[in-house]
Amino acid sequence: MASDSTPMDTNNGPSSPDNSLSSPIPNTYSSPGRRRRRQSTTPSGTPQPNRSRFAASDATPTPSRHRARGGGIPSGRRVPATPTSTSEDIPMSSEGGDGYDMDDAGPTYVWGTNISVEDVNDAIQRFLKHFRERTSSQGDTDDLDLDVDGKYEKLIKQVIELEGESIDVDARDVFDHDPDLYNKMVRYPLEVLAIFDMVLMNMVTRMKPMFEKHVQTRIFNLKSSTSMRNLNPSDIERMVSMKGMIIRSSSIIPEIREAIFRCLVCGFCSDPVPVERGRIAEPTVCLREECQSRNSMTLVHNRCKFTDKQIVRLQETPDEIPEGGTPHTVSLLLHDKLVDTGKPGDRVEVTGIYRAMSVRVGPTQRTVKSLFKTYIDCLHIKKTSKSRMLVEDDMEVDNGQGRNAEEVIFDEEKVAQLKELSKQPDIYERLTKSLAPNIWELDDVKKGLLCQLFGGNALKLASGASFRGDINILLVGDPGTSKSQLLQYIHKLSPRGIYTSGRGSSAVGLTAYVAKDPETGETVLESGALVLSDRGICCIDEFDKMSDNARSMLHEVMEQQTVSIAKAGIIASLNARTSVLACANPSGSRYNPRLSVIDNIHLPPTLLSRFDLIYLMLDKADEQTDRRLAKHIVSLHFKDYENMEHDVLDLSTLTDYVSYARKHIHPQLSDEAADELITGYVKIRGRGKFTGSSKKVITATPRQIESLLRLSEALARIRFSEWVEKHDVVEAFRLLEVAMQQSAMDIRTGTIDMDLITTGVSSSERMRRESLIQDTRNLIMEKMQIGGRSMRLLEILEELKNQSPGSEIHLNDLRSAVATLASEGFLSMQGDSVKRT
Amino acid sequence: MVGPQYDLLANPLGAVRSTFDTAISSGSDPTSLNGHDWGAVDLFRHFLSDQSQLSQVPLLTPSTIRYVKPNTLVRYRGMIQDMLGNEFYVGVYKDGSVWRTNKFTDISQYPIPMDSSAETRIWERRLLYCVPVPGLNPWAAPSAEEVGNLSMDWASEQREKRRRGDDESSDMPVDGDEGEGSPNTKRMREGECPTLASQPQGAVPEIAGSSTSLMPGLNGNSSSCIVKIYDAPESELKLNDIFEFVGILTSDPELQEDNADSDLSNGFGEDPLHHFPPNKVPRLHCLMHRKLSVLDFLKNKPVIEPKPDLVKGIREALLRHLSAVLGNDDVAAHFMLLHLLSKVQARVDALAVGKFSVNFTCFSKETASVFGKQLNIAVKNLVPFTHCIPLTVEYLNTASLAPKKNYDTNRLETGVLQLAEDSHLIVDETQLDVGTLNSVGVENARLLKNLMELQKVEYDFKYYKMEMATDVQLLVLSEGKSNILPADVIVPIRPSATNSSEAVAAENLEAWRWYLASVRQLPHSFESETQKMVESDLVAAIQADRSLNTQDLSRLVTMGRLMCLSFGETTMSLEHWQMAKELERLRRERLK
Repeated sequence: MASDSTPMDTNNGPSSPDNSLSSPIPNTYSSPGRRRRRQSTTPSGTPQPNRSRFAASDATPTPSRHRARGGGIPSGRRVPATPTSTSEDIPMSSEGGDGYDMDDAGPTYVWGTNISVEDVNDAIQRFLKHFRERTSSQGDTDDLDLDVDGKYEKLIKQVIELEGESIDVDARDVFDHDPDLYNKMVRYPLEVLAIFDMVLMNMVTRMKPMFEKHVQTRIFNLKSSTSMRNLNPSDIERMVSMKGMIIRSSSIIPEIREAIFRCLVCGFCSDPVPVERGRIAEPTVCLREECQSRNSMTLVHNRCKFTDKQIVRLQETPDEIPEGGTPHTVSLLLHDKLVDTGKPGDRVEVTGIYRAMSVRVGPTQRTVKSLFKTYIDCLHIKKTSKSRMLVEDDMEVDNGQGRNAEEVIFDEEKVAQLKELSKQPDIYERLTKSLAPNIWELDDVKKGLLCQLFGGNALKLASGASFRGDINILLVGDPGTSKSQLLQYIHKLSPRGIYTSGRGSSAVGLTAYVAKDPETGETVLESGALVLSDRGICCIDEFDKMSDNARSMLHEVMEQQTVSIAKAGIIASLNARTSVLACANPSGSRYNPRLSVIDNIHLPPTLLSRFDLIYLMLDKADEQTDRRLAKHIVSLHFKDYENMEHDVLDLSTLTDYVSYARKHIHPQLSDEAADELITGYVKIRGRGKFTGSSKKVITATPRQIESLLRLSEALARIRFSEWVEKHDVVEAFRLLEVAMQQSAMDIRTGTIDMDLITTGVSSSERMRRESLIQDTRNLIMEKMQIGGRSMRLLEILEELKNQSPGSEIHLNDLRSAVATLASEGFLSMQGDSVKRT
Repeated sequence: MVGPQYDLLANPLGAVRSTFDTAISSGSDPTSLNGHDWGAVDLFRHFLSDQSQLSQVPLLTPSTIRYVKPNTLVRYRGMIQDMLGNEFYVGVYKDGSVWRTNKFTDISQYPIPMDSSAETRIWERRLLYCVPVPGLNPWAAPSAEEVGNLSMDWASEQREKRRRGDDESSDMPVDGDEGEGSPNTKRMREGECPTLASQPQGAVPEIAGSSTSLMPGLNGNSSSCIVKIYDAPESELKLNDIFEFVGILTSDPELQEDNADSDLSNGFGEDPLHHFPPNKVPRLHCLMHRKLSVLDFLKNKPVIEPKPDLVKGIREALLRHLSAVLGNDDVAAHFMLLHLLSKVQARVDALAVGKFSVNFTCFSKETASVFGKQLNIAVKNLVPFTHCIPLTVEYLNTASLAPKKNYDTNRLETGVLQLAEDSHLIVDETQLDVGTLNSVGVENARLLKNLMELQKVEYDFKYYKMEMATDVQLLVLSEGKSNILPADVIVPIRPSATNSSEAVAAENLEAWRWYLASVRQLPHSFESETQKMVESDLVAAIQADRSLNTQDLSRLVTMGRLMCLSFGETTMSLEHWQMAKELERLRRERLK
């Protein structure tokens, strides 16, 4: 039933705030919004005569109406049709209803269609009674399950208990149950919804006969969502659903539904006078027989009934606007509970009925222009958040209920598209390419960042120990290697991304601080950047410029994922489940190849070990790279780019892809992968124990194995795979290695062999060199005395060649070997002459 | 289609209706038309495909508007400044037993019977708000003859006269060349200040006594126009595009009573149309539209192919002229030429490939006033749409550069940077003094920087910003290197003489305009041979100077391409690539 709760929660979200905001009208009274919908007609050829049959049942806000509706047998009662709202007064025929009579002989059809009212009625009843979540019962087992309440019966019971006013019906459920009903509902929403409401009220009254309130159906989650741009005349009077951003909302307009007049002369109060065609007929004569004074009736404001109405302007979200267009807008009409569900700036998904209204020439004139104003009569509003990655993802294990308020539901089409994408063999490469495509090269860094975006699985053991799933990355590199650009890009892409610069961040600014409210004097806890980026990525630029004090605050955040505060009487532990992406310059601004990696980064090892990946981004001079760059630039100018860039995913697809993976994919470690992980780890550990190694080497710690696990999980997620395979682990190891440029590191000294990076010499070559250095050392030990005579390089070369005739030794190789020895202080070199020191 | 039994120019609506009736009688189902054309547009398209017929259609300008009769065919040239969304209207309806259409009109000829709702069909049309192209130079504005014959006397003899007159008129803008220069600049500057800049689309000053207007209730001096588009795919008309619309001008006194009283507009009176009462802004029901390029703004278009030798001659002359304007600085003149030919050819990610903004430095306040003015005049004479922003602290702090959506009126309020494609913008930084920028100023500086670097302007939609791609040639004049506006190339200017430029012959100007407009449009390609060559040159450049970044290299290729274009070549030649490299070398020497 996990997914069952979703639609409920989603809807409670928006509707809950108005409980407090709801109108001051006693709640005995029910939705005029629905009524109005039904009443206002447009000349677009929608049913009319028949529409009026609902008028009686749901149009007139007389107290008796509820009962009438509830019983569903208001036969023969003739109630004047409530006309549309004051302003919607169209000179259209919405003549008084004949009263809805369910017991009418013979089938009744919705006007102009072959939809039988009875059929629809039955279909809805079947749906509400028998619909069950797929998970609980499959197809034919429906009948067996009858003793268990269906989804909507449960909901109805809930509504009755809570005395709610509406019930949210997932249109997809309707479709699953009865596609025909769904189609009718979308095509003829006015009629079908009226029947829906009626059936619902029947059920409600059957369950609780004394239930006073009127319960409305609110349809949401239509199968297809329309783009605001594509709304066209054929959508009029249909149910549509669209996404957009609220840009303006009017103040709440109280709209009179029933008026009560009192005679000034005798004090007689009239019966409630309903709104008729947007007008209230003020009685000119006192109705009391004894009085009958003229023009004495006056409106009693506080006994009239009003409903809330609000007009909201919805505008297209930027991602739907085609190039060179301006955003379209559409008006929404909200009633009752929906009023104030969205504030300007909110992104919402709206389900409603598209209506058109003819424009009158003058306020009093009945002539109508040939123009129409359009609006959407809202049935349901759901807040969404689109542009960023999903804010709420259930990476977290202590997943509380009711947190899914802002959940983005991917429609099937999108999911299918994403899945299709994930099946491509080169998806990993493609995603890498799509990440910050304007940043040249740096593929491995991008792969690491990609892993960070996808993240690993968080784990919480029964014992209470938790393992984070967030991957922390540190970029260290020479100035001008587009570190900041990468940071900015990730910041844009990630949910709740916070971008700070180390120089301007203090410890409290990052974590949380206690402040005194200037007005009340109360101490309040203000969240810092890390807390604010809970479940997001916190990007910290200029990490090295940060004060040590501020940095030390990060220790807790990066491993325990909480921020603990104990000050000014507040002791609190705040969640900060954030991935940290930091970038720093090497300690001497530029990377010094003579120093070890640790010395270059110059950050406390305690902190360093908390980063899963540390990238050294060195500016390498490489003709191959240069050539590729040149080719790239030239092709930019000559249209080749079209072929080059065609497989890059756009930002929104990338965001969707990442969100979907984070939400739905929870990979498990396969046995094979686990074995690989263990052997790999042991190998790294072994490396740290290399004989003669200095302590400057970053040795593998248990943290590393966690990192590897997270990386492998992230890699599996990238493929939408539920299993971490062996090759994921291999790639994770590779990423870890590449990050530290460990392939180029001299294990014995902990320094990076810059020649190796710049010239790209293979590792076997390195071995050869090492042996050359050793040979040279031995030779010099043998032949030269400390402070003795110097030797020329060529002489050494000759000697070496004599020692091992098979090998070819070049002068340059020797020169670098000697240089290495010189840096060790073993010898000194002046020009071509070597001297032992 | 039978020959038009209606005068298409004077009574286009009659033609629309008669084609509709024909279509209905020949069996078309009006209910399934769905707003699609039934042959009326074809009729007009056929009729107007003849250039001479097209020129018969009067052009709507502030000066002609009072002579134009309503419900006649007119032309309008302008830039799409805002899109007002779609409008639903009763497309066809049954009047008694006869089907009628409302397409191309605001009001129905016969009252729509509202009670039989089944007998109407709702169609939609798009509303565009168009303004005259911002920064249009007088020489590119339509001359009196071009505006069209308004006397409703369509004698062919008159047409002959008109054509001859057209040729003569070509020197008209040149007369004003020197003399008009300074007032022009002045006007331009004034035009830049925010209050006036926003004037053209909103408050058209009411002119009393415009009773001569033939349009009932339509005042003169309307320069903007609401164009109603039928049957055109959305992607065809984009914001800031320049179009020529041919359509039916309507005016409906009844519409003026359209007060905002309906339910939905009551909420916030946001219907943009209310801000454009029909007596101020005419409505044009568009039958045909055509996108205009710079070439369309040239007075008489020489129909010659850009032949290399011819182009070379023009190029030399233009270079001489530019060099004279820049005080005999040849290098600067070359850069100026390349700059004037630049155009965004492609966008790759955030990169706008092909842009070439230039920053002339080493101006002092004195020289700036001399050269700046000359340069401004020269540019004005060469390209049709120009702007000049005198950058001062006060200007930055007060100007509204970015267009901004006003949700109260539901209108996009224009900003200085809402420019049509191919506009030229001079930013004069020499007048910038020390001062404090407020938040507006900082934002404006950022906007200018974005425009410079990305060729994009952020339109402010309050809840979000929307980036609009632009293609504006940017020229910055400053004392030192401008840090606010990082141009693609910085060229220190070395004037050797301050001779005020001599008068330029009219035919030269014509030729230069044509040269700039047509050469810019040329396609350009690369042969693999030269491509390799260029690539290795780039690699060599990187190896020699590791501080070169992607932008520098990209710019070098742009220069090479523009250099070839300036000779009218469509493929990159090594010779001109070398020239570009040499030019870059000369520039770098100056920077040292």
